Amino acid sequence: MIQIKELEKYYKTEEVQTIALNKLSFEVKEGEFVAIMGPSGCGKSTLLNILGLLDDPDGGSFKFNGEEVAGYNERKRAQLRKHNVGFVFQSFNLIDELTVFENVELPLIYTGVKPAERKKRVEEVLEKMQIMHRRNHFPQQLSGGQQQRVAVARAVVNNPKLILADEPTGNLDSVNGNEVMDLLIDLNEAGTTIIMVTHSEHDAKYSHRIIRMLDGQKVTENILV
Amino acid sequence: MINRHFKIGLRNITKNKGFFALNAGGLVIGLTAVLLITLWVQSELNFNKSLTNYNKIASVMQTQYRANDDIRTYTGQPMQLAPVLRKNFGNHLKYIATSTRSQNFTISYNGDMQKVKGRFSEPDLAHLLDLKMVAGNRKSLEDISSILISESAAKDIFGIEDAIGKSLKINSGLDVKVTGVYKDLPNNSSFEGLNFIAPWELLKKNAGYDKRLGWGNYWFQVFTQLSDESNLASTSNLIKNVFNENYINKNPNRDYQLFLQPISKWHLYSEFENGVNVGGRISYVKIFGVIGIFILLLACINFMNLSTAYALKRGKEVGVRKTLGSSRLQLIYQFFSESFIIIIFSFALALLLTYLLLPKFNLLTLKEMEMPFSSSSFWMICGVLILITAVLSSFYPSIYLSAFKPVKVLKGLVSGSKNEVRIRKSLIVVQFAISSILIIGTLTVITQINHAKDRPLGFDKELLVSVPINTSKVRNSFDVIKNELLASNNISEVTASDVKITAAYTTNGGSFEWKGKDPKLNAEFWTIRATEGFGKMINWKVLQGRDFSKKFPSDTLAFLMNETAVKYTGLENPVGEYIRWGNNGNYKVIGVVKDMVTRSPFDEITPSLFILHKGDFLSYVNVKIAADNPNAIEGAIDDLKATFQKYDPKNIFTYSFMDDEFERKFNSTSRVASLVSWFSLVAIFISCLGILGLSTYTALQRKKEIGIRKVLGATIYTIWELLSKQFIILVVISLLIALPIGYYFSSKWLLDYSYRIEINFWMFALVTFIILGITLLTVSYQAIKSAISNPVDALRTE
Repeated sequence: MIQIKELEKYYKTEEVQTIALNKLSFEVKEGEFVAIMGPSGCGKSTLLNILGLLDDPDGGSFKFNGEEVAGYNERKRAQLRKHNVGFVFQSFNLIDELTVFENVELPLIYTGVKPAERKKRVEEVLEKMQIMHRRNHFPQQLSGGQQQRVAVARAVVNNPKLILADEPTGNLDSVNGNEVMDLLIDLNEAGTTIIMVTHSEHDAKYSHRIIRMLDGQKVTENILV
Repeated sequence: MINRHFKIGLRNITKNKGFFALNAGGLVIGLTAVLLITLWVQSELNFNKSLTNYNKIASVMQTQYRANDDIRTYTGQPMQLAPVLRKNFGNHLKYIATSTRSQNFTISYNGDMQKVKGRFSEPDLAHLLDLKMVAGNRKSLEDISSILISESAAKDIFGIEDAIGKSLKINSGLDVKVTGVYKDLPNNSSFEGLNFIAPWELLKKNAGYDKRLGWGNYWFQVFTQLSDESNLASTSNLIKNVFNENYINKNPNRDYQLFLQPISKWHLYSEFENGVNVGGRISYVKIFGVIGIFILLLACINFMNLSTAYALKRGKEVGVRKTLGSSRLQLIYQFFSESFIIIIFSFALALLLTYLLLPKFNLLTLKEMEMPFSSSSFWMICGVLILITAVLSSFYPSIYLSAFKPVKVLKGLVSGSKNEVRIRKSLIVVQFAISSILIIGTLTVITQINHAKDRPLGFDKELLVSVPINTSKVRNSFDVIKNELLASNNISEVTASDVKITAAYTTNGGSFEWKGKDPKLNAEFWTIRATEGFGKMINWKVLQGRDFSKKFPSDTLAFLMNETAVKYTGLENPVGEYIRWGNNGNYKVIGVVKDMVTRSPFDEITPSLFILHKGDFLSYVNVKIAADNPNAIEGAIDDLKATFQKYDPKNIFTYSFMDDEFERKFNSTSRVASLVSWFSLVAIFISCLGILGLSTYTALQRKKEIGIRKVLGATIYTIWELLSKQFIILVVISLLIALPIGYYFSSKWLLDYSYRIEINFWMFALVTFIILGITLLTVSYQAIKSAISNPVDALRTE
């Protein structure tokens, strides 16, 4: 599903150039659950942004479903992204002014789903995430675990092929963290490809494969299943 | 979609009440000012438009080309003109009417008297004005004993009685019968409050004009309505030489050219210089139009700055939305809709505020404007205003917000690019430059008015009262009246004169000759005729020679002249010299008086001659009240009233204080001054909201930096300095731009006044002080708030 080859990304200021990704190559197959680990500043988040089509690489190749997407402009990336990728962030990134229902509904609006269909799908996914009773609440009225469940619901409501999770349990206690990981496992078992960036060895063990990075490069790769 | 944006917009508003209040508040105040100005400008531009024949009505005016490139334009015409025009150009002029100017007359009905504003006019005026008759017939004005009165006059005079057929007396002498009642003429027109039209022929016959007045007495107005197929320019050209061709005794050095001034120009373009129509009130319309545009711009800039400042808080939302697949266009649409909601809401509030303020604004502008809720053009203007506001204020923030990079904003890195910061700073500079220009304008107008008010008049206007002489009986009995009045303890002096001392508008010219006069000079003097004792009463200063005196019977052929007249004649030792005044005789100059301000306090002093007179020209009895206390003043008025009612029982007793008359000369300029002041205040207030918004933005953006600095030991003062300095620099730049522009426009405005101030350094210093002071206060609020905040909070949010 994802093939990256010699992927490069630099951050430049007027005087310093930092290499975030240094000729990084790997593949992720459809239905896989891959964890990416590494110390802070090793390029994990940069990688996730590129894989999530939020950012553009400076060099190398990035094929998404066999299609070369490196060099796509923002509009094309957005098109591809909204139909194929769901995001789960460490800090949830729910919109404070929208209710639970409206937050989850948002990706469907952007993909042009009709209101009746939207309602059906949002309710389905909220049921599934066991957060239906909170549908009219605002994010700040929910606990961290509940907020992340809403974020996961929002990530999957469009049935994306790929979910990118950036430290999804980073802001949660262990009980809530485990619940979120269980949700991700369920989704993966239902066929969704998941790439998760994490610092937690515990969380990483839920995945099929762990890619460890340092200074923008892959250092090891452990296959767990 | 709209519904969703509306919902989210409302949630944003309730969640950020302070920001919303700041943002909408500035807009509401700005839009209210703009709406008030719009109403005023519309009312000025619509002046006279409610008259049915607006497109065809004109007045006949004349330009006189005199020797020495002296060109003058008059609205007045001789009574002989209209009949000639009617006879020769009747096919071009559907209606034409000679009319007196509109003035107050005493109308009595069964002994009850009232002052009523009216005109004597030829019958065509009734048709030209398309009088809407409530009763009777407008054609009846052809009858020499008829009168047409307005509905409100009928109500005032007759109450519920039927007016038709009732007899009235005009100024105690002219008997007329009401033959028609017309609907009141529209407010916003040159004929507003015209409560009667009486037959011109009646006045002409009664006053013996046929014997007295020739082509040289251009005392009347001539109105015309062009025939349907005629156009103004060609008809104006046709009648051009009628005056020259018919005025047999015309001065060979003068050329009289007639022209038609369309009704559309009467109100706004009434001033002529050297025969050219140079404008008039239209300059006020332009000034307020520009102020309106300025204020709208300020309000929009505010909205822009506050919205982009607020955008910092919404960075995450933009990031999430983009991540979830929103296109930039969708985001622009969303933010634009949200702004639009605020704009519509603000506009509705502004409309309400305008409605509430309109009565006060009417008092300030002396107008009777109403909210034109039923006028489609008003709503169209409102629509355009909303659109302009939306485009000016919302496009940039929408584009700015939607351009956030999701990767960055999700990490919490929202900061303006150098370009965006530059735009925001430039907008602040524009705001403060505009405000400073308006303050300079306000200061100039106010200082100029005070300058003229403080002008040494050369005479004493206090405790002077003038009573108009309405009948020859009063004029002929002046000596008796004087003695009676002097018997009162409340009155110390009594004189009579042809004009009020504050309104000496009589000029005489063409026939003055003196030793050494330039033969080409067509000399002209302002004249004041008065009885003996006038100078002493007003306390004028005789600089050379002596005042008029009973001891010298020959003083009836003597002049006193003012200093300006001395300069004008070039006489080195004027006392004892003779000035010949046509057939009136050879006048001896017996004295020179100090220049006096007898007309507009803004104008130059004109060469004036004072003449001892006790005859037909006397039009006012003037008295000096003996003591400056309420009892004496009240007593003097009572005594005057009693005496006048004895000698002139058929006219209403009226009087005026000369100090009030003088004050009144400032009315229109003072009105402009107070309007400009109010609008400047609005401009400054809006600019302050803007700078408050930007300082909030900066404080928010530099929260972490301030936290770190404080942890490292920065004092409140250094933080305050850090945050305030940049604004002070911006405001100084705006002052550098505004001061020369303000100087230029203020100097240009002052050119309209001969007696005027010089724009002084202190004015600029004051503007700088005001603007910098206000800026410091505004900015310091936010800066100190940041400086005393707990740095731990700032660092924890990162």
